[in-house]
Amino acid sequence: MASLSIDNLTKRFGASLAVDGLNLAVQEGELVALLGPSGCGKTTTLRMVAGFLPPTSGRVLFDSEDVTNLPAHKRATGMVFQSYALFPHMTAAQNVGFGLEMRGVGGAERQAKVEEALKLVRLSHLAGRLPRELSGGQQQRVALARALVINPKLFLLDEPLSNLDAKLRAEVRIEIRALQQRLGLTTLLVTHDREEALTMADRLVVMEGGRVRQVGSPRELYDEPQDAFVADFVGRCNILLGRRENEIQFRTAGGLVLTVDIAPNESKNANAFALRPERISIRPGAEGDLHGPLQAVTYLGPQTEYHVRVGDEVFVVVQQTPGADEPLASVRPQDQVSLRWDRKAPRLVPQTS
Amino acid sequence: MTFADTHRDTKGANVKSAPSGMALLVLPACLLVLGLLIGPMLLMFRISLNRFSPTQLMIEAFSFENYARAAADPYYQEVILTTLGMALLCTALTLIIAFPAAYWVGRLQSSWKSLVVIATLFPLVVGNVVRSAGWMALFTRDGLINAVLLKVHVISEPLTLMYTPKAVVFGIIAVVLPYMILTIASVIESIPRDLEDAAANLGASALQTFWRVILPLSAPGVAAGSILVFVLCMNTYATAVLLGGPRFKMMAPAIFDQFVRGNNWPMGAALAFMLLALTMSFTIVGSIAFARRYRVR
Amino acid sequence: MPASLLANWMERPSSGRILMRILVLIAYLIIFAPVSMIVATSFFSQEIVSFPPPALTWHWYANAWDKPEFLRGLITSLQVALLAAAVGVPIGTAAALAIVRGEFPGKQVISALLLAPLAVPGVVAGSGLYMFYVLAENALDRDIKATTEGLVAAHVMLTIPWTVRLVVASLQGLDRAAEEAAANLGAGPLTVFRRITLPMMRPGIVAAAMFSFIQSFENLDLSLLLVGPGRITLPVAMLNYLEFRIDPTLAAVATVQIVIVGVLMVVTDRFVKLSRVV
Repeated sequence: MASLSIDNLTKRFGASLAVDGLNLAVQEGELVALLGPSGCGKTTTLRMVAGFLPPTSGRVLFDSEDVTNLPAHKRATGMVFQSYALFPHMTAAQNVGFGLEMRGVGGAERQAKVEEALKLVRLSHLAGRLPRELSGGQQQRVALARALVINPKLFLLDEPLSNLDAKLRAEVRIEIRALQQRLGLTTLLVTHDREEALTMADRLVVMEGGRVRQVGSPRELYDEPQDAFVADFVGRCNILLGRRENEIQFRTAGGLVLTVDIAPNESKNANAFALRPERISIRPGAEGDLHGPLQAVTYLGPQTEYHVRVGDEVFVVVQQTPGADEPLASVRPQDQVSLRWDRKAPRLVPQTS
Repeated sequence: MTFADTHRDTKGANVKSAPSGMALLVLPACLLVLGLLIGPMLLMFRISLNRFSPTQLMIEAFSFENYARAAADPYYQEVILTTLGMALLCTALTLIIAFPAAYWVGRLQSSWKSLVVIATLFPLVVGNVVRSAGWMALFTRDGLINAVLLKVHVISEPLTLMYTPKAVVFGIIAVVLPYMILTIASVIESIPRDLEDAAANLGASALQTFWRVILPLSAPGVAAGSILVFVLCMNTYATAVLLGGPRFKMMAPAIFDQFVRGNNWPMGAALAFMLLALTMSFTIVGSIAFARRYRVR
Repeated sequence: MPASLLANWMERPSSGRILMRILVLIAYLIIFAPVSMIVATSFFSQEIVSFPPPALTWHWYANAWDKPEFLRGLITSLQVALLAAAVGVPIGTAAALAIVRGEFPGKQVISALLLAPLAVPGVVAGSGLYMFYVLAENALDRDIKATTEGLVAAHVMLTIPWTVRLVVASLQGLDRAAEEAAANLGAGPLTVFRRITLPMMRPGIVAAAMFSFIQSFENLDLSLLLVGPGRITLPVAMLNYLEFRIDPTLAAVATVQIVIVGVLMVVTDRFVKLSRVV
């Protein structure tokens, strides 16, 4: 395993900048996720790291070796494609053995390694099957084994879970993470799914428009987003635009005045109030400054989601579903409810940084 | 080229309420093909069993002696072997020349694609006569090739290019190339690009990717294109006549001669039937061999 | 990502890529060399084609116009091709509709039968028809060979497989939900067909009409034995002329033909993307 350094990497397609001066270092054994909406440049970055796409400028280094001009087939990265990209005319074992064959590993040694890799992903019994005779989840595991068997310097995952159904996705997520940690794989994961990124990554890179918006641990990004885009992309968020009145007050565009408690230097040009739905508590009745009619109640099983209109603003609140005998359990749309939150919970951030 | 799988979308809400009446719609087309193709083919087979006489032209008979003669006579042997040889050679050469172009077309994206496909298609519809005439302008004593070679002093005497098998090979390849390119390109288009990236990612060079991934996966296109092109080569008429000259005989011109110059219907019919049988058996054997090899698909 | 492809193409001119581009170039050179040669020589001033030409002229186009065999051939070919497409496309479309939508026994056999004209060598089919026509002439005591009707009948047979193939393809790709929606909104079967199905089939039918026209217009093999004095199609007229010599008059005729076909293709491409139907 190697570490990865991306140095001022830029990719220009005609007039548009797909990746704009990206810098990133991935430590050995670390899993870093590139997260962002489609077209943010995350896939382009991954493809440049794999060597499928030449950068317009900038460098890619594995350990301290500059691989920018090395063709893809000499980079020794192990990639799992979104489509899995299994060779349809080869069996699972032949797919896994392909990389070894290209490296001139022959006969018994290759067979042993293929068997070992298939065992790692629990597919030994299906070695002779063609890809189309395998389920989506099994295909995905063949793709994993194929990428890992060559002992790659770098493990690259391009939306590896997006073709699996929701239940399987949650399982495979944990499985891949466990494998990555056990084998100490230096990994770059590309995804647009925030849950996937939050649960799997050591560090997250939120990208937008070819640039990095914020880098940090999942917790940092969730709790301390630097701007409204990151706040919204990393998790659900009530974002109200407006301006800061004074040290402790924020006036929304709708004219609502909210109390905040934030260090003054932190929010020089902050024009957005960001508050996670689960940080708001809700109770029946019109009490305090913040109250209004309930607009909708959505039962989600363990949690319940409430939409509350206060003045001209609508707040989304997510709370643990109350027990049947609690007063909150009997609120109906149009009932008055009041909202409260810890003063330290909201953040004031710029709309864009 | 059958439509067996069309049954499944006929279920569901039945917009057309009289599906049995639909059968009538197919009748005119069937009668046309039966009357103008199948009927004449049967008639032709019957005539091929008759006997030719220079004075009475055709005598009713029921023998296979025309076929026996075609198989034994050195002239017809040469015609048949020339035709088969040319067809096999041209198919092989066309495949080799077409593959890179097919790959290029198949991988082309963007608005250029439509233009390239039209450009590839265009010479197809210009007709064999016109294209043979174009080759003639290149190959004659005063043609472009000789003019250029003389000018740069590669040769001192004009080369004889016209009326050689080489000229016919060029002519045929130019005629059939677009078919091969478009057939293979449509298969290459359906091979995900990811597979090439995956192969590279696993350490395969461009050449290794070609041999191990692209070629095996484009086999259906290669087979379909080769069969199509082989049939077209077997049927060559204008190219053989115009570029091969009067001495160079392939089956289609030989058949024409039997009818027009010799007025020998039985022999012409027998030769035509042999060409049909040869073409069809090669097509069928080719398809079966392919189907067996790729049964898994 | 067209831009990415182009960028990739330009940024890394590895030796493999260069070789590949040369091979592609050779293939297209072979395809286009004869066509461009013909167009070029039609402007050469000398009667005997030689390189380089001493001067360029439009003269041969006027000359071609004055040669009755070419003008008559062009008219015959246009006539036959238009009639063949006009008769063959409706018949083939009806058959395609029945094949895709109808339920009747022997559908596979019928599909195979309708595509058969593609698989039979043109000279073979032409020989069969020639004998059939001559015997019918003797029996009926009227001309069939070398008449417009005789040629059109043969060419209609040629248009059937193309029409069936293209229209079936367009029908199979058709979303039946639109028809069901129309029925659901109260349209009767005939209205559904006229207002929904037929318009959606249009690209397939346009493509079929164009291919039928071109197949007939360019046909040589099938027509060779079916033409006669006074009824000669343009390709046969050109072949007869060419057996003696190549000169700029013929090149001019061929160029006119190339322009006709080219315009037809470009116009059709406006209605149907040719790259999708082929």
